This record gives sequence, C-alpha cells and structure tokens, in this order.
Amino acid sequence: MTDDDRVFRALADPTRRFLLDLLYAREGRTLTELESELEMTRFGVMKHLRVLEEAGLVVTRRSGREKLHFLNPVPIRLIHDRWIDKYRERRVSALAELKTQLEETA
Amino acid sequence: MTMTTTTALATQLYQVFIRSTPEAIWEAITTPEFTEKYFHGSRIEITSTRRRSLGPDGAVRGDSPVVEFDPPRKLVHGWRSLYDPELAEEEPSRVTWEIEPLDGGYCKLTVTHDQLEGAPKTAESVYGEGWMTVISSLKTLLETGKGLKA
Repeated sequence: MTDDDRVFRALADPTRRFLLDLLYAREGRTLTELESELEMTRFGVMKHLRVLEEAGLVVTRRSGREKLHFLNPVPIRLIHDRWIDKYRERRVSALAELKTQLEETA
Repeated sequence: MTMTTTTALATQLYQVFIRSTPEAIWEAITTPEFTEKYFHGSRIEITSTRRRSLGPDGAVRGDSPVVEFDPPRKLVHGWRSLYDPELAEEEPSRVTWEIEPLDGGYCKLTVTHDQLEGAPKTAESVYGEGWMTVISSLKTLLETGKGLKA
C-alpha cells in the first residue's frame, strides 16, 4: 500500500473522520477523552486510531503517564496538492480558454 | 454529529516523511540559501544559540534564542512573529524540529509549534497554511531539488 492508499483508506470511514474533527477542534487528547465522544468500545476506538496513525494522520506524544493524540494535517495537504489542485487548475484553464475562444469569435 | 469549534491551536504538530538523509534535512533547516527556497522567502541563520530570520528585503522576521541544538537530530528555538507588529506583541512560543531516520532512505520530520497559549493570534496565523506550505515545500525541495516558493 502506498502512503496515499493509507490516507484514502483512513478517510473512507465516518468514525475516523469524526475522530479527526475532534482532534481539529482540540488537539492533544487522550484515548479516554476521545472514547467519551463516541458510542463505541475502547477497543473499537483504539482500532480506528491505529489506522489513522498508520496513515500518518494522527501522531501520539507521551506527556507524563498520558498518551496524547494530535492531528497531523500534512498528509491531507499532500493529497490536496496531488489530487485536487491539479484538476482544479486544469478545469480553470479550460474555462479560461473557452472564454477566450468565445470572445474572439464574438 | 455536533461539536464545539473552539480551536485552541496552542500545540500544533506537523509530521512528514522525506526521502532524504538527516544531514541533508538538517542543512536545509539551518542554511539561509536553503530556507529562502521554501520558508516564505526567509533567509534563516541558525547558530547553537540564536535563530535569526530575514525577509528578502532584509527586514527582521524573527530573532529568538536556540534552546537545543543537536545536529542532525533535534533543534528547538523560540518564536516571535516579528514580521507583523500585532503578532510581535504576543508572548514568545516554541518550535521543535525532530529528524528521525527510517529504513529505506526516508526520514520522519516532526515540527511541533507549542507554548502558544500566550500568542493566540500567532497560533491562528501559522496554523495550517503557514506551516504546511513550509513543510510540504521543504519536502519537495529535498526530494526534487525544486522549492515551491521562490
């Protein structure tokens, strides 16, 4: 699996997207805090967090006895650069070309 | 699913895998000829005690102490956004660069910008686009030799 595959796979699940939204709203949360926001077993939440970690979307840090979870937005940015920017530019330049052609023939 | 949207941003973490060596990444972080290619055009000079950042016009964008200098693994320095008067008034924060070599010619670079509790406007300003542009551009520069931002 490539890095992109892992990110797309991680993002393909609504619970995992919700976990990312929780970490976006407030970073550095423990498993217990995250678990309290979901109707799911601790084990289930851990499994989802592991998929997010493997995709690089979540990074953990130890702080004393606690393990804190942080959102890492870089993989999403790289996906954006690779998969969204490219098509948006194409589309914009195609529209710009159409405008020029229409105006020239008008 | 509803949630609160108060983004604290007092600790920001960015991590990326770069196909490069720790030495090359360290050089890219600490050499002005490199930093001007990916760090919003800033020429950043780093010694074991001080980090100074100059804009293309020579204006001082940053001037903070280096707290930890451990080439090519770890660099910790202070941060004050001198490029904006409103942000410069806020309390100083801290930036940590960690380089960890991995198998297969890759390194994991983690940039943590924290202690931003006393600098909410700075936190907002550097979040997302700010750091991500720097980091994704640094990756591109090291892997292809080309910076995204001149």
